Amino acid sequence: MKNKIVIMSTLLLMLSLLYACANTNSLPRVHPEDVRSLGMPRPNCSECHTDSWSALNHRAPNYLAKHRFYAASSRQVCSMCHTESFCSDCHTRKDEIKPSDKFSDQPERWLPHRGDYFSQHKIDGRINPVSCVKCHGRQNNQRCATCHK
Amino acid sequence: MKLYHTSKSCLVLGAGAAVLASTLFWSTPLIASDYSISGESNTIFRMRRTIDDKKLLPAYEYLHLNMTDNRSDGTGLSLHIGGWGRTDLGDSPTSDSADGDVQYAYVTYRAPKDNTAVTFGRQFVSEGVAAERIDGLYLRNDFLYGLSASAFFGNSVITEPGSAVQNQGGTFVYGARLSQSNKKYYTVGLSALKGETENNGKYREEEGIDLWVHPLQQIDLTGRSTYNSITNGWMEHSYLVTYAPLSSIRIGADYAEINFKDYLYNMTNPALSVINPVWNANDKMTAAGGSVAYSGLGNLMVSADYKYYSYDKSGHANYFGGKASYSLPQSFVVGGSVHRMDGVVDKLCYNEYRAFASKKIGQADLTLDAINVNYDKKINGVTNSYAVTGAAGYEVNRKLRVGADVEYSKNPDFDREVRALVKATYTFDTNSAAEGGTKK
Ligand code: HEC
Ligand code: HEC
Ligand code: HEC
Ligand code: HEC
Ligand code: HEC
Repeated sequence: MKNKIVIMSTLLLMLSLLYACANTNSLPRVHPEDVRSLGMPRPNCSECHTDSWSALNHRAPNYLAKHRFYAASSRQVCSMCHTESFCSDCHTRKDEIKPSDKFSDQPERWLPHRGDYFSQHKIDGRINPVSCVKCHGRQNNQRCATCHK
Repeated sequence: MKLYHTSKSCLVLGAGAAVLASTLFWSTPLIASDYSISGESNTIFRMRRTIDDKKLLPAYEYLHLNMTDNRSDGTGLSLHIGGWGRTDLGDSPTSDSADGDVQYAYVTYRAPKDNTAVTFGRQFVSEGVAAERIDGLYLRNDFLYGLSASAFFGNSVITEPGSAVQNQGGTFVYGARLSQSNKKYYTVGLSALKGETENNGKYREEEGIDLWVHPLQQIDLTGRSTYNSITNGWMEHSYLVTYAPLSSIRIGADYAEINFKDYLYNMTNPALSVINPVWNANDKMTAAGGSVAYSGLGNLMVSADYKYYSYDKSGHANYFGGKASYSLPQSFVVGGSVHRMDGVVDKLCYNEYRAFASKKIGQADLTLDAINVNYDKKINGVTNSYAVTGAAGYEVNRKLRVGADVEYSKNPDFDREVRALVKATYTFDTNSAAEGGTKK
C-alpha cells in the first residue's frame, strides 16, 4: 500500500512538471511515407533520413538484436509504422502457435525457431537461455511446464 | 485463483475502455475528425500429432481491431484490441490450460505537443528495464532540456504454468523511466521496475541505465546495464554497435555479460529459472559477436556472422556462418544460409543449413523452406534432422487472402512427422482519407 502511495505521488509530480513542458510538436501519428510500398522486406531508413532516425535502419544485420533497445527508448516511433498486432505476432503471452507457423509464407522474416523445434530447442536453450527468457521466462510457458517441472 | 482474477479484471478494463472510447470519440463535434476503423481477422486450422501420439485438430480465430480518431487540432485517440480463441475439432483438447486470450485491449490518448501519451488497459510496456504486459496505466511526456519521463503501473499479465514453482508470479508491477537526449547525438535513460507478490512481498526490483549514442550518421551504439536489487548483482550488460562506412556496408558488433543468479531470479518457467541445475551451476555467461552485411550488388544481399559463447563452468562454443539472399520487390525472393556450431560438448557440434524461395505468380504465391541440422555425433541414433515446409497462398481480393502449408520433418525426437495449417486472412479498413503510411 505504501508503494501505491509513492506511485500516486510520483504521477502527481509528473503532472505538475507538465508546466515545464518542452512545447515541441509531437511525432506524426503515421509515418509520412509509405515505406511498405517500396516493396523490399525491410525498410532502409537511411535511404531518406540523414537525421538520427537512420540509426533504426531495419537493414542492419543485427537489427533484430537491437530493436528491443529502440523499443525501450522510443516506442512511439515504432507505432508510426507498426500497429500493436505486429509486435504481438511475436510477443504474445499465452499463445499456442509459434510465429514461424503463423507466417510460413514469409521466409525472409526474422521469425524465431523455424522448423520442428523440439530437438533443436534443447541445444539453443542450452547455449543461450537469455534470448528465450524474453518470450518464455514469465509467459508462453504453459506448454514448457508439461516437461519442465 | 489468480488466473481467474486477471481475466476478470481484463474484462472490466476492456469494457471500461470501450465505454471511455465511445464517449470520447463522439463528444466534440466542432473539431474535424479523421475517424477510422481497421482490423484483421485470421482464421487458422491446424493438424498435428503430439509427442504422445494424439491427433490434434484445433481451429483458431485471431482478431485485431483498431479504432482511431485523429483530430484536426492534432490530438489522437485510439482503441486497440487483439485476441484469439480456439475450438478443437478433433477428440483431444490441444491444451487444458487455456482456450483463448486477450493479447491487448487499450485506449490511448496522444496530445499534439510534447509526445504526451496516456494509455489505459492491457498493453505491452517497453521502457528501459521494463518489458511488461500489464492491465494498467501508462503515461509519458517530453519536458524542457531534452528530458522525457514515463511511468506505468498495473497488474502484471503473465502465464502461470500449473507446475509446482515456488514463485507463481507477481501481481502488481510498476516502474518509471527518465531520459535526457540530444536529438543529434545521444539519449541516456535511467529506469526502475518493482513487482510485488500477492501479499505485498518483494518479487522483482530492477534498475537500469540505457544508452543510445550516434555521434556520426555512420555510427550507432545502443545497449543497457541492469541491476537486480533483490539479489544485489548485475543482471546484464548488453551493448551493440553498428558502423556503416558506406551505404552498402554495415558492420555490427555486440557484447553481453549475464549473471544467471540475478538474471534468472524468480522466472516462472522452470527451464529458465535459477532452480534449473544447469544455470545454478554456472554463475556467468559471456557472449560476443560480429556481423558484416554487403548490399552493393543490386538485389543480392550477403552477410557473415560470428558469435562466441562462454560459460564460466561449462565451457564455450563458437557459432559462425554466412547468408545470402536475392530479392525482386514483391515478386521473388531466394536465399540460404550455412552455419557451424562448434562447442566443447558433443551436442554443440553441428552444421546448420537453410534454403528458401518464394515466388508470386499473379494472385498466387508459392514458398519453399528447408532447414537441416547435421550433428557430428548421433543423438537418439539420428545425425540428420530436417524440416521442409511448402506453403501456397492466393489473394482472392485486396481484403481476403487464403493460404495453406505442410511441414514434413524428421528429428531425434519424432521419427517422421507431418503437420498442416490452413489460414484465411481478412483485412478491413474504413479510412477514406488514408495518408501514405498504411500501418500494419
Ligand atoms: C521513402 C523515404 C523514407 C524512408 C525509407 C523512411 N522515412 Fe522516415 N520520414 C520520411 C519523411 C519524408 C518524413 C517527414 C519529414 C521529416 O520529418 O523528416 C519522415 C519522418 C520520420 C520521423 C518523424 C521525424 C520528426 O521529427 O517528426 C521519424 C521518427 C521517422 N521518419 C523514422 C523512420 C524510420 C525509423 C525509418 C526506417 C524504419 C524511416 N523513417 C524510413 C521519409 C522516409
Ligand atoms: C518508417 C516505418 C517504420 C518504423 C518507424 C519502424 N518500423 Fe519496424 N518495420 C517496418 C517495415 C515496413 C517492416 C517490414 C514489415 C513486414 O515484414 O511486414 C519492419 C520490420 C520490423 C521488424 C522485423 C520483423 C521480421 O519479422 O523480420 C521488427 C522487429 C521491427 N520492425 C521492429 C520495429 C521497432 C521496435 C520499431 C521502433 C523502434 C520500428 N520497427 C520502427 C517499418 C518501420
Ligand atoms: C519477428 C518477431 C518479432 C517482432 C515482429 C517483434 N519482435 Fe521484439 N523481440 C523479438 C525477439 C526474437 C526478441 C529477443 C531478442 C534478443 O534475444 O535480444 C525480442 C525482444 C524484444 C524486447 C525485449 C524483451 C525483454 O524482455 O527484454 C522488446 C521490448 C521488444 N522485443 C519490443 C518489440 C516491439 C515494440 C515490437 C513491435 C514494434 C517488436 N518487438 C516486434 C522478436 C520480435
Ligand atoms: C519472440 C519471442 C520468442 C522467442 C525469443 C523465443 N520463443 Fe519459443 N515460442 C514463442 C511463441 C509465441 C511460441 C508459441 C507458443 C507455444 O507453443 O507455447 C513458441 C514456441 C516454442 C516451443 C514449442 C515449439 C513447437 O514446435 O511448437 C519451444 C520448444 C520454444 N518456443 C522454445 C524456445 C527456446 C528454447 C527459445 C530460446 C532459444 C525460444 N523459444 C525463443 C516465442 C518466442
Ligand atoms: C516434450 C518435452 C519438452 C517440452 C514441451 C519443452 N522442453 Fe525444453 N527440454 C526438454 C528436454 C528433454 C531437454 C534436455 C534436458 C537435458 O538435456 O537435461 C530440454 C532442454 C531445455 C533447455 C536447456 C536447459 C536444460 O535444462 O537443458 C531450455 C532452456 C528449454 N528446454 C526451454 C524450453 C521452453 C522455453 C519450452 C516451452 C516453450 C520447452 N523447453 C518445452 C523437453 C521439453
